[in-house]
Amino acid sequence: MVLTAVEIVVLVAGLTVFLYRLGTLLNRIAANLRECAALVRQVREQAGDIVPGVTHLNRSGKVVARTLPLLYAFAERLVARASAPQRHGPARQASCARRSGPHDATDFRPK
Amino acid sequence: MTDTGYWTLALVAGAVVILAVGALLGLLVYFVKLIDDRVAEVRYTLEAVVEKTEHAALVPKTAATVDAVLSEGRRHHLLLDRATSGSGS
Repeated sequence: MVLTAVEIVVLVAGLTVFLYRLGTLLNRIAANLRECAALVRQVREQAGDIVPGVTHLNRSGKVVARTLPLLYAFAERLVARASAPQRHGPARQASCARRSGPHDATDFRPK
Repeated sequence: MTDTGYWTLALVAGAVVILAVGALLGLLVYFVKLIDDRVAEVRYTLEAVVEKTEHAALVPKTAATVDAVLSEGRRHHLLLDRATSGSGS
């Protein structure tokens, strides 16, 4: 009779301990999973900007890459025109006679 | 068999049942603990992922900056076009 009661007490106590331990662990798992769900929502929200942003970036980048060679070609043309040698007219003789003599400014008088 | 014999048999059977239940519950607690540890790892990994994807907000800003570069490039293109056609005439 006593042993039966002891067995029943041991069984109930053991079940209580195990169930308490299981309950604690399952509560912790539930809290972690709730946190994981919130984090997944956050990631989804943040990653939503990536695809449209990168598409836009690629589109604009392609246009920039296509435009730069044209700018370079224009700049080269300008540089070529700017560095071309300037044409001067042919050297012309003075059209009027000399007004002063070659020695007028000095005291030298040729004999 | 006498009554004492039946009682002894019942007690032994009860003890065996208690041991079996204890072992199975112990196994259950072990697996649940394993699940708890793995879920915690998943949570830490997700926290690291969130830290990385926070910077994804810079992508649309970069796209807007490239658009600004593009519009500036177009202005340069128009200016150079005018300059080359003006010096050519």
